[in-house]
Amino acid sequence: MIAASGLESFYQQRTAYSERPAEAEFSLNDQYLIYDDPDMAQRFCQREDNGSVTARLLLGGITCAACTWLIEQSLGPVPGVHSALVNLEQSRLDICFDPTQLKLSEIFSRVESLGYRPRPFHASTQREQMSAEYRRDLRRLGVAGFGMMQVGMFAVALHAGDIQGIEEQYQGLLRGFSLLVSSFVVYYSAGTFFTTAWRHLRQGALVMDLPVALAIGLAWLASAWATVSGTGQVYFDSVVMFTFFLLLGRFLEARVRQKHSLTWFDAESTLPDAVSCQQGGQWVTVPRTQVVAGDVVLLRPGETIPVDAEVVGGTSAVREDTFNGEHLPRAVVVGDTVFAGTINVEGALEARVLGSYLESRLAALQQSVEVAQTAKPQLARLADRVASWFVAVILLVTSATALAWMQIDSSQALWIALSVLVISCPCALALATPAALTAAAGSLRGSGVIVRGENALEALSRSSHLLFDKTGTLTEGKLGLATVQLLADVDQDQVLAIASSLQRWSNHPISLVFQDIAEAPGFQDIHYHLGQGLSGQRQGLQYRMGSDTFCRQLCATLPPAPDAPLYWVALCDEHRALAWIGLNDRVRPEAREVIDDARAGGLQVGLLTGDSSAQGPLLAEELGIADVHTGLEPQQKMAQVQRLQEAGAVVSMVGDGLNDAPVLSLADASFAVAGATDLARTQADFVIVGGDLRAVISTWRKARACRRIILQNFGWALGYNLSAIPLAAMGYIPPWAAAIGMSLSSLLVVANSLRLNRQPSR
Amino acid sequence: MDSLYLLIPVALVFVAVGIKLLLWAIDNGQYDDLDKEAWRILADEQKADTSNRDSNGGEDSK
Repeated sequence: MIAASGLESFYQQRTAYSERPAEAEFSLNDQYLIYDDPDMAQRFCQREDNGSVTARLLLGGITCAACTWLIEQSLGPVPGVHSALVNLEQSRLDICFDPTQLKLSEIFSRVESLGYRPRPFHASTQREQMSAEYRRDLRRLGVAGFGMMQVGMFAVALHAGDIQGIEEQYQGLLRGFSLLVSSFVVYYSAGTFFTTAWRHLRQGALVMDLPVALAIGLAWLASAWATVSGTGQVYFDSVVMFTFFLLLGRFLEARVRQKHSLTWFDAESTLPDAVSCQQGGQWVTVPRTQVVAGDVVLLRPGETIPVDAEVVGGTSAVREDTFNGEHLPRAVVVGDTVFAGTINVEGALEARVLGSYLESRLAALQQSVEVAQTAKPQLARLADRVASWFVAVILLVTSATALAWMQIDSSQALWIALSVLVISCPCALALATPAALTAAAGSLRGSGVIVRGENALEALSRSSHLLFDKTGTLTEGKLGLATVQLLADVDQDQVLAIASSLQRWSNHPISLVFQDIAEAPGFQDIHYHLGQGLSGQRQGLQYRMGSDTFCRQLCATLPPAPDAPLYWVALCDEHRALAWIGLNDRVRPEAREVIDDARAGGLQVGLLTGDSSAQGPLLAEELGIADVHTGLEPQQKMAQVQRLQEAGAVVSMVGDGLNDAPVLSLADASFAVAGATDLARTQADFVIVGGDLRAVISTWRKARACRRIILQNFGWALGYNLSAIPLAAMGYIPPWAAAIGMSLSSLLVVANSLRLNRQPSR
Repeated sequence: MDSLYLLIPVALVFVAVGIKLLLWAIDNGQYDDLDKEAWRILADEQKADTSNRDSNGGEDSK
């Protein structure tokens, strides 16, 4: 399916591409001129020996391989470009070009004209770490794979020899080489199990890696001893196979998560890099980092405000959904403070810079995200809890077996005790969780939910509270028409048509409501009055639309706005008031169902919103949510969740805005809904791509199913061990049967986990 | 059967070479982006296309 749709887009792009030459149709964006400055450029560029320059750009908006193709193909033929390569997993463009022929600003502009958001790529330690870890895992897996094939071949010969008879010198030879290969695998690939187990053991924690390390280590030691001394039995094949299976399971699980991890996102990168700053009476474009407190900057409408600043000229409105999640802008006049990361909606502002990024309110928000990450309570993993008593039982049984055989036949005691250890090898047990999590994540991705959090499915399945943000999560996050209250003898369509033609001239969020409504013809002389409304003329009549006072100036008979808690806009002409138009943020149609389902499933539902108006409680009442908290700052939301967590609750949170990022990061499991800001996405454990809130409930159900499957897997693995251990303790199980038994039980666990891949039947 | 004494070490040398090659490829970043490579086979067709056009363009300008 993907391939088919991807191919289609390939060909669409291809025709589009051959119709117009690559050199045409892009305009140099002034904003990118600052990157031509060598100081700015050297931070993400590297000069090669032959004079060419390699730049690394981070691209926003890359979603699939077709995008990488489009970018590579469009930039490749540009004169001066030596090579352009896109790394999809890191959303990174490496472009090598000739600086004498091509400027960086042109590359940025070209990328932008393709529809992607280019930013300089700054290497972060976290990102480096992630890719180093990925490579290390892959190396371990590769070595274990090669080792498994080799040792497996020797093992077949050895097992056949056990049955048919084999000369001692050849048995010794094969065992010797098995020892050689498996030693390398244990050292190189399985080393991670030993270090993790040891690290946790020192802190007094028994984790799944401990029985794994014990099984690998002891089985290898025993086999090595058997090889050197020429007695007993060898289990090299089991050791290596076990290592490979486990590494594979973990690698796949990590890959599913890492694929969509954007942990390297930081709030600062949402700010524009170029700022118009007043220097010697002129506006010049300078890099944002060079602006210092006291400088006067120009904030154009529609742009993101780059710094915290105090307004010294102009009036406008700023959208501060960054901090309160609301989409209606706040009006600002001279003397007010505007914040970095908010959007200037209406008019140009001159503002005096208050401080650098680090002192800004946005940086504080970013900081609380980092605080939340460390404050997040660690839920004990199911696997680790099972592991702790599994270790105890195995060690007990092994010691008991050894003691018993000491009495019966002391020469056999060591070998039988060891075979108990190998038989009880926790391969299936250790695979139980990663296999189920990988399958569940794969299935969820098919239904439009991306799983990012490491322990998120487990946490979600145990959650007791489900908290929602309001704007953009339970509601659609944009204004819609709620009601029209007619005040004169006109019909509603007419009123809306007039409103629509006036609103064409505004870029206030309200105008979006009227976007799809047909205009009334014949309007002239339309003016936009900052912070007040719009005026226009039609057939000799003056019309006004906007705030109460603005319209009353034209038409004194305008009655006061109705009581209902909506956002009211007045419309009038010279002689009469026409209508009060009520707007509100519409509730998502599926919200009710989601909340009912959650409650039916035994979850406590709550609402945490940054909106302090009456809308919050009203919505909660409409949806039947009892636990409502309104007017919360990001930090207060965190405090709410922390309070619940301290009382022992497992909290899941659904949100979308930048202001939700800290609380999403703190919650045990969290969802970012479609259209969520990048920072919220990076902090959420689940990202809902499809825009349907019902995915929260289906993910929750999947998480419960996943937990069931994990428990079944544990049940099977333990059952297998429990039935095999007595046999081993009595000395009945030869090494080849141990190897087969182990593989079969692991396969069964994997097969059982794959059941999660089936789509839920509704 | 004595050939085993020679053949097994030879096999091990091959394995060692294979592992070495794999590690080299991983460290070289060849496995860093598994998603894009899966698509490359589709993109190559167009690449040939554009390079043809490029070379044509080059000849024209000469």
